[in-house]
Amino acid sequence: MSEHIVDVGKRHIKEINEEIQDACAQGKKVRVINTLSRHNLGIGLPDGAEVSFEGSVGYYCGGLNVGATIDIERNCGWALGEGMSKGMITVGGRAGMSCGAAMIGGTIHVKGDAGPRCGVAMKGGNIVVEGKIGYQSGFMAHAGKIIALGGAGESCADALWQGEVWVAGEVESLGVDVNVVEPTAEEVAEVDKILEPIGLVDSSRDWRKMISGQRLWYFESRDASAWLMI
Amino acid sequence: MSDNQPYEYPFDLPDEDEIRFRDAGAIEGRPAGVPSSYDEGGSARWTPEAISEVHALAQLGRYQVRGYNTFNKRLPTFDDLTFVPATMTRLPLEGYRESCDTTTVLGGGRGIVENPLELKIPIYIASMSFGALSASAKASLGYGASKVGTMTCTGEGGMLEEEREASNKLVYQMSPARYGIDLDHLRRADGLEIVVGQGAKPGTGGLLLGMKVSPRVSQMRTLPEGVDQRSTIRHPDFLGADDLAVKIEELRIATNYKVPISIKMGATRPRFDVAVAAKAGADIIVVDGAEGGTGASPELLLNHTGIPTISAIRAAREALDDCGMTGKVSLVAAGGIRSGVDAAKAIALGADAVMIGNSAMIAMGCNTPRYPEDYAKLGTSPGACHHCHTGMCPVGIATQDPELEKRMNPKAGAERVARFLTAMTMEITALAKACGKSSVHNLEVEDLRALSFEASAFTGVKMAGIDRAYDW
Repeated sequence: MSEHIVDVGKRHIKEINEEIQDACAQGKKVRVINTLSRHNLGIGLPDGAEVSFEGSVGYYCGGLNVGATIDIERNCGWALGEGMSKGMITVGGRAGMSCGAAMIGGTIHVKGDAGPRCGVAMKGGNIVVEGKIGYQSGFMAHAGKIIALGGAGESCADALWQGEVWVAGEVESLGVDVNVVEPTAEEVAEVDKILEPIGLVDSSRDWRKMISGQRLWYFESRDASAWLMI
Repeated sequence: MSDNQPYEYPFDLPDEDEIRFRDAGAIEGRPAGVPSSYDEGGSARWTPEAISEVHALAQLGRYQVRGYNTFNKRLPTFDDLTFVPATMTRLPLEGYRESCDTTTVLGGGRGIVENPLELKIPIYIASMSFGALSASAKASLGYGASKVGTMTCTGEGGMLEEEREASNKLVYQMSPARYGIDLDHLRRADGLEIVVGQGAKPGTGGLLLGMKVSPRVSQMRTLPEGVDQRSTIRHPDFLGADDLAVKIEELRIATNYKVPISIKMGATRPRFDVAVAAKAGADIIVVDGAEGGTGASPELLLNHTGIPTISAIRAAREALDDCGMTGKVSLVAAGGIRSGVDAAKAIALGADAVMIGNSAMIAMGCNTPRYPEDYAKLGTSPGACHHCHTGMCPVGIATQDPELEKRMNPKAGAERVARFLTAMTMEITALAKACGKSSVHNLEVEDLRALSFEASAFTGVKMAGIDRAYDW
């Protein structure tokens, strides 16, 4: 696979994305340099593409990814890989707010910490954060798993649907309507299967698995007090 | 006679019955002096409605939820405005003969997108989700709109294949909940609509009660079957207008700068909200007034939030004028538009196009006098039904029940939508021609007069007769 280098600098964002898409369409591996933390780099990248970003990127990098393997050397801004349906995104540093927002599938791997509302509204896929996830992570996650190896901030796993938040380390506080459950060996094995390809399996972890308490799923007059929590 | 002596009639007092009007002429059962208020009550605070509301809340322990639109009777309406057609100072067009252009182009003003939305009429079908409506109702709206050269919008439930097939032009909605987001759907859409609010319940997210969260709906929205879906109002990946500008750029890249991007908002502070939305980069701004319809909402929000559509349109147009964005950003008005007359008034007030929801449903058959026993089951009757939230729509439109859905023939529904849109357009052109306009878009505020002080104050439209705007 030959490599194509895209120099970002101050060029128009449309031109940059077109150059990345064209190179991917030609089956070339893409290395994006001089990124200057620009927003909207690598939007809607195609299945099978391989794109790496040198340095840091801004908002929505890898947004609406449909199957590309994306590698970000340092940090990323808000909503990394928002709405992605397939593929793999790796962040060498930290991720900003709303990492993996509303994603449907694929995997995001953040080596540092992730900001608030990590995995907000996600509909599937997995987010693995080696550091800590920020406040209100997993807010209204419909499906999928958020796995944090370095603890979680306040209001963790707030108002979940069927998404799961797995945390090793300290959880500062729980969000509304959360049940903390003891995972079964089979469930831990499933998480290990997600961690295995990125070399993060460690059998000594003390997992806290958070799922919905389902008290906010229905209007019920007999449970009006729970309802008032929101 | 001394003043200290009690006065005495120079005659005997008659019987007490005589004094109390119980003489021979009295009507049995209708005593004089007992006012009708003994039966009817008269408290302006504790009306029978207010009393039953307290009884309801005392049983439920939560607020009431329902569909349809506001029941607040204090809102000034389009009926408070009238047209003043050409007479001596200007010349009308021949209403029965001359042509009047209805072509409407939305979203092309900035010159950024490749394919602005070109509609044959200044009306399109509002964003109503699959979930709120049945799949066949969505398809009917699509075919009906296609026949007359206009479009529909997905609503928040994701793109329904039946609707994509039916609608020649389809706008894809990005709701805060982002149900079923799919890059392929974005690219197959003819426009995108980012929702930051709706007229029926500005400041609050969508609501779909469990009765309508069918297997297919739950699959499209990644929800457990049968839950009471209460959606977010805040978007997951931007907070304020500056971030929204970046988000809009992302969507332009994702769709290759091909299709326009709308921002839809509930009308609250349109004078400012519209200016901010224009600054954020929207190609089209949809302002949905307090009369806007919904499949389900907390009732208090329907009745007590937002500002009337007529006032919102003027404020929105003034905002675009002041920012120099008129012509660059299209303005669409929605909320309680029932006819071509309402639509013409909306256009005269400053809208480039209007969006209809409830009236399109009514054209399909909502509230028709059929299946009376099923209206009765809901405790309502044809013409008064507002039970979209229950999913038990007696005429098969606002339902996910396959048996009820069969009650609307989707082909007949499509034709009724097409005919209704045609009639509305005819009404708009009739008024435009009477006002001497060869294009519906030439209707202007000067063509209107207000019939009430309130309507004049809310819109800045001159009062009828005196032809002077008050300096409110």
